[in-house]
Amino acid sequence: MIRFMLRRIGLGGVSIVGASIVIFVISRLTGDPIVLLLPVDAPPAVIEEMRRTMGLDLPLWRQYLIFAQHAILGDFGNSYRWQTPALDLVLQRLPATILLACAGLLFSISLAVPLGILSAVYRGSWIDTFGKGFAMLGQSMPGFWVGLLMILVFSVHLGWLPAFGHGTAKHLVMPAIALGWYPVAAQTRIVRSAMLDVLDSDYIRMGRSLGTPEWLLVCKYAFRNAAIPLVTMLGVYFAAMLGGAFVVEVVFAWPGLGRTVVEAVFARDFPVVQAGVLLTSVLFVTANLLVDLSYGVIDPRIRHAD
Amino acid sequence: MKMTRKTIIYSTLAAVLSFLTCLSSAQSVKPATGDLTIAFAAEATTLDPVKYSAGVDTYFIGQMFEQLVRPDPSQKRINWLAESWNVVESNGKAVIDVRIRKGVKFHNGDPLTSRDFEFSQKRLADAKQSRWSHLQASVERFEVIDDHHFKIHFKEGDGSYIADNLHLWAMPKAYFEKVGEEGFAKSPVGTGPWKFVSRSIKEELKLEAFDDYWNKTIRPTVKNLTIKVIPEDLTRVAAFKTGAVDWIDAVPPAMIAEFKKLPGVKTATVVSGNNLFIDFAEHVPNSPWQDVRVRLAAAHAVDVDAIVKAVLFDQGERYVQVGKGGVGYDPSLKPYPYDLNKARDLLRQAGYPRGFDTNCYNLTTPREPNVKEMGEAVFAYLTAAGIRCKVQGLEYGAWINLGRRGRNGPPEMDGVISWMWGQGVPGDPGTPWAGHLHSFVAGKGWGSYSYANDPELDGMIEEAKRTMEPSKRELILQRIGKLKHERVLGGLTTYRPLVTIAWRDKVDYTPWPWPGFWRNLQQIGLKQ
Repeated sequence: MIRFMLRRIGLGGVSIVGASIVIFVISRLTGDPIVLLLPVDAPPAVIEEMRRTMGLDLPLWRQYLIFAQHAILGDFGNSYRWQTPALDLVLQRLPATILLACAGLLFSISLAVPLGILSAVYRGSWIDTFGKGFAMLGQSMPGFWVGLLMILVFSVHLGWLPAFGHGTAKHLVMPAIALGWYPVAAQTRIVRSAMLDVLDSDYIRMGRSLGTPEWLLVCKYAFRNAAIPLVTMLGVYFAAMLGGAFVVEVVFAWPGLGRTVVEAVFARDFPVVQAGVLLTSVLFVTANLLVDLSYGVIDPRIRHAD
Repeated sequence: MKMTRKTIIYSTLAAVLSFLTCLSSAQSVKPATGDLTIAFAAEATTLDPVKYSAGVDTYFIGQMFEQLVRPDPSQKRINWLAESWNVVESNGKAVIDVRIRKGVKFHNGDPLTSRDFEFSQKRLADAKQSRWSHLQASVERFEVIDDHHFKIHFKEGDGSYIADNLHLWAMPKAYFEKVGEEGFAKSPVGTGPWKFVSRSIKEELKLEAFDDYWNKTIRPTVKNLTIKVIPEDLTRVAAFKTGAVDWIDAVPPAMIAEFKKLPGVKTATVVSGNNLFIDFAEHVPNSPWQDVRVRLAAAHAVDVDAIVKAVLFDQGERYVQVGKGGVGYDPSLKPYPYDLNKARDLLRQAGYPRGFDTNCYNLTTPREPNVKEMGEAVFAYLTAAGIRCKVQGLEYGAWINLGRRGRNGPPEMDGVISWMWGQGVPGDPGTPWAGHLHSFVAGKGWGSYSYANDPELDGMIEEAKRTMEPSKRELILQRIGKLKHERVLGGLTTYRPLVTIAWRDKVDYTPWPWPGFWRNLQQIGLKQ
């Protein structure tokens, strides 16, 4: 198990270094940040002076080495746009995005799991149809539209929930639903098909014949095995939540990382883009590592096989 | 100096009277009370007056910092921290002689003196700190006469100083030297009506009314102000409707009619300082755009009024070269009338009876409301006349990069581009025309975004740049505007966007322009 863990951590490290090179090069392909930082009538001499000051006149490989040396020590440079340390800017916003992503994921799983189980157990019934329909509805509506619709109903008309901002549990409700509804359909399908497979297996039939209560069979014995495909995808879903948070953050004026990084991309604010993407890569790699490790907990056969 | 008894008596009486006046006015100012939360659609990136680069950056700076001169609500330039100023000549060179107000204090209690403006000018001229160092290139030296009197000596005349409210912001020299650049950016101190409390980027700015503010009549009457940043239009509107905020800017154009009817809500629609136009690639060899008849055809092919009405929900003010109230505004200049037949005829005369294909570049980033849709409509009109647009949408970075002259290598603006350049409010086209009308001169800063090449206009623009006497500037800029209009150079001027601000009845608010184009909260409070 330890060898497995060390191998996964090593691979994660390689992925992060790879991501740092890719994001460093790609961000520089998007264009010149200087013209966006200076007034439009700034003469070329001023532009060149600023380029020199920011080290953007150096060859790309040298820029990368300087960046990597500093990044290892946690120094991603100052944001070109906000003129504050890029890492501080990202770290200040990261908790809000993680909170939103976790809440969105929690919302989607807490809907998808019961819907998937019920759809499998009552295959072909109205519960199955309703479950699929509800899940599909979430997938058919873009997150920003769901968000705006909820603002209109729950904030403007009913006055139950705040229209924007963060800080309380109430603030989290609508952004979490707007973010988490979309993947419900896919997750429901995963749970449903895995449950159908498991429910048809010999050991479940054996359980039934021994008179084990159906709820115990479904919830304890069947779902535990059926959960593995969903758990496998959780890391991917978490990453998708981090990426998809941008739109929801804009709609609800949520002070998260997604909005900061996307705007930094458009502003060619390289330090913020690099810090944001690298930190997200670390989160992504960590989430997948945790997913890998959790297999052993869910299914001891995997642990023993390793 | 010999003083008579009479002089002493009069001086003493005057001093006592002025002391009593000050005392009574100070006593008559009620301390600001209460809390107010408002929302902006966009936020400034910096709180340091030498670091801003776009109009939006002055949204926050303008609440805390002040300049020598500023426009009032009627867009008339008035002396602000300057008690008086004038342009004089010394040894054949221009000098701006400024006397500043006495009794002005910074938020930390330091008195404002000429040394602070000397420091401000020095920072502004330092390319390592400032984004505007190029605008100080013509300053020869700064001379402090006394605590409230200074002179700026110029190597050569510089009209931009006059156009841009004498450039300088009041910045506290002693405080800056104590806390350094980083400390100053984190906790800025100015002379403005609002004191900095805290800021959370992309979330909010908290301010507090400055009790010792020098202007006892025009000042905020609410104590604590929170400016929320809500970029999404409908969320901002929802925040207003639910009462989470009591003032919003940039009401979406499609909702203005509804807002004007809302009970208990007041609105103000004001013209922004941005000037939109459609520019043509006259610089490309053998381009159809080099022919004035083609440019004129394009000018007659676009029904700008219809676009303003249908696409912008009337949230645009037509302008011809210079907006109403701006320096060089000429009411005799009329927009080119929409005339499709004339446009086609002009194309025929120019040798394009079947029209021609051209690239048309559109800005897709919403720098102004519905700007993408407006560009698309313009290009559709051009296509209908025979100037067949191959439309390419560009986000802001790519757009500004494409427009810029003198870059190494492609891409190059080779057709039509939807462009804009702020002239401020009330507006002065001197700097914009130096950028997009004067022909491009590599390394000199002229024509950085210009596709025109007209030596006569170049000479006039350079003359305007040197001219500091306001009435002379007015005449020169009018002459340029006329010629520009005749020759359809430096773009086809279309409209200036209008901005609608909404606030609840309980808020006592008067819109003040600049900086931040009407986001200045000079007079805001809660009704008693």
